[in-house]
Amino acid sequence: MPKRKLDPLPSAAFQILLALAGEDLHGYGIMRNVAEQTDGRMRLGPGTLYSSIQTLLDAKLIEETEPREDAKLGHARRRYYRLTSAGRKLARSEAERLRDLLRVARSRKILRGEYV
Amino acid sequence: MSEKIYAWLLRLYPSRFREAYGEEARQLVRDRCRDEQGFLPRLRLWLDVLSDLALSLPQAYFHVRPELPSYAAHLHSDGGPAFVVLEEESLGPGAWFVGGVLGLAAVVSFSFLLNHGVKYVPLGALIHPARGSADHHPSSFAPRPPEPARDSQLPAGAPASGEQREMVATSSGPGNTAAQDAQENAFTPTDGSHALGQQGGQPQPATNAVSTLAGAGLDRAELERVVDGAAANLKEHYIDPVVAQKMADALVEHEKNGDDDRATDGRGFAELLTRQMREVSHDRHLEVLFSEAPLPEQARAEFHARYRKAMEQANCTFEPVKVLPHNIGYLKLNSFPDPSVCKAKAAAAMASLNDADAIVFDLRDNRGGYPGMVMLIAAYLFDHPVYIYTPRENTTSESWTRSPVPGSRLANKPVYVLTSGRTFSAAEHFSYNLKMLKRAKLVGETTGGATDVGVFHRIDDHFGIGIPETRAINPYLIPDWAGTGVEPDVKVKAGNALETAVKLAESKLQKK
Repeated sequence: MPKRKLDPLPSAAFQILLALAGEDLHGYGIMRNVAEQTDGRMRLGPGTLYSSIQTLLDAKLIEETEPREDAKLGHARRRYYRLTSAGRKLARSEAERLRDLLRVARSRKILRGEYV
Repeated sequence: MSEKIYAWLLRLYPSRFREAYGEEARQLVRDRCRDEQGFLPRLRLWLDVLSDLALSLPQAYFHVRPELPSYAAHLHSDGGPAFVVLEEESLGPGAWFVGGVLGLAAVVSFSFLLNHGVKYVPLGALIHPARGSADHHPSSFAPRPPEPARDSQLPAGAPASGEQREMVATSSGPGNTAAQDAQENAFTPTDGSHALGQQGGQPQPATNAVSTLAGAGLDRAELERVVDGAAANLKEHYIDPVVAQKMADALVEHEKNGDDDRATDGRGFAELLTRQMREVSHDRHLEVLFSEAPLPEQARAEFHARYRKAMEQANCTFEPVKVLPHNIGYLKLNSFPDPSVCKAKAAAAMASLNDADAIVFDLRDNRGGYPGMVMLIAAYLFDHPVYIYTPRENTTSESWTRSPVPGSRLANKPVYVLTSGRTFSAAEHFSYNLKMLKRAKLVGETTGGATDVGVFHRIDDHFGIGIPETRAINPYLIPDWAGTGVEPDVKVKAGNALETAVKLAESKLQKK
């Protein structure tokens, strides 16, 4: 079931995987990272964020780590998420797919610039 | 504030989601609220939250759970049906309250509509607005008053007699046959008077000393008596007590306002009251009736004896069967007589048609009779029981013909029914059903439009009221013939109907 939900990979899920590629993050951290890496175009709302997280957890693409405090955000303990190796693999293959797509777009002169 | 609103919105999500991520989601909104101060950022926050809600809420509910496939597999292995509880949470008090209030509201509004909002409007009234002529023609409607001079019968559907009610139309046209005359003479009132009835629809000066009303103005006491009598009868007998009350009120109201003073004679007054009742109820089966000759109070037994005698003299109004060229059987029926008297005569007439290749029933001078005879004759025309719609009666086992009739060979032969504007009541009942069952071709004119559905109640010597007491279900989606008559399949002048029907029958027989 999760497989079907993630094939094709929804952009929210992909963005979450990318956000977690650098460091372990809690929900709000993921949201902020995603907003940053998309120049503010994608601001994940709580519903979308956590249902995507649930799906990714079910598919074992990410995992939960021990809850801990975020020094910048007060004393509340937060659940942190970490990318699994399967998640990293999937993110990479998705990135490769996009790269191939980009190549095609460039060859068709839809996008100017150098080959990646 | 924002966080509180969000906490409330969060309750829209399935409990599973709330348990797993409710706190986190609230935390996230709290974090954003803290970080995004100011009007515009806050506005953006709320736009995000609301669009997120719209997008993720359906997803959250449609999300197929990982455990569901195993249930599905379980179902398949068993083959039997099973229920799976997906939401373990029990209903909260709020849900019970809302459900209870909605249920109560539904019950209350349904019963209110049933009593006040929904009234019976015959389909015909919606499709074809009432024809003026039909509404004013004195002979077009329901139960005929007992008029001793003409077709004189007991009140159509004499109440509680236990015997079958007759469907009789009383207006008389030209072309009376000897048989009818015999019948009519037999019904001359015993006091020897000979009121002239309603020939031509004009009130005739009555020779009977009691008929002081005919042609003269109505006195106040008579008006009041009739209005009160009609109102009382409606309240007592009409099918829908709420509508009955409204009609009774309307009648009394009109009477008080002096609306009834316009009536110059009994017939006009009866028509006026009929219109007043129908304005309220839209029920074309309701009618106030006027009779110049005094209405008998109780005369069932005497009537029956006279009826029997008249029928014997008149061969039960069956004219001798003729065989026309091409072996077309022709039977002229001038009424549908009481089967308890005329069963044998009917059987004999039908038996003499047995060898014909096609049958023509001539109902052009048939002004009605007994539904039982309609059933009896119709039974010969089918090889299996068929449902015959009777506007006066609820469906019972008697609503099906007793077909096939042993020895009858008429079941599959072409049938033609001749009709005229003077074809009334039971004859229309016969024509209508055979037409709707596609068993006969109707040739001639549109029939008179008298359903005679109401049960007759005597108000005084000259006035009575016909009130429908049952609401029969018409299986055909078009209205019955009340007020409008039965349309023939082939419309020709009544005088040419026989010729046309014979031509149709001949060409049909030649095709075979």
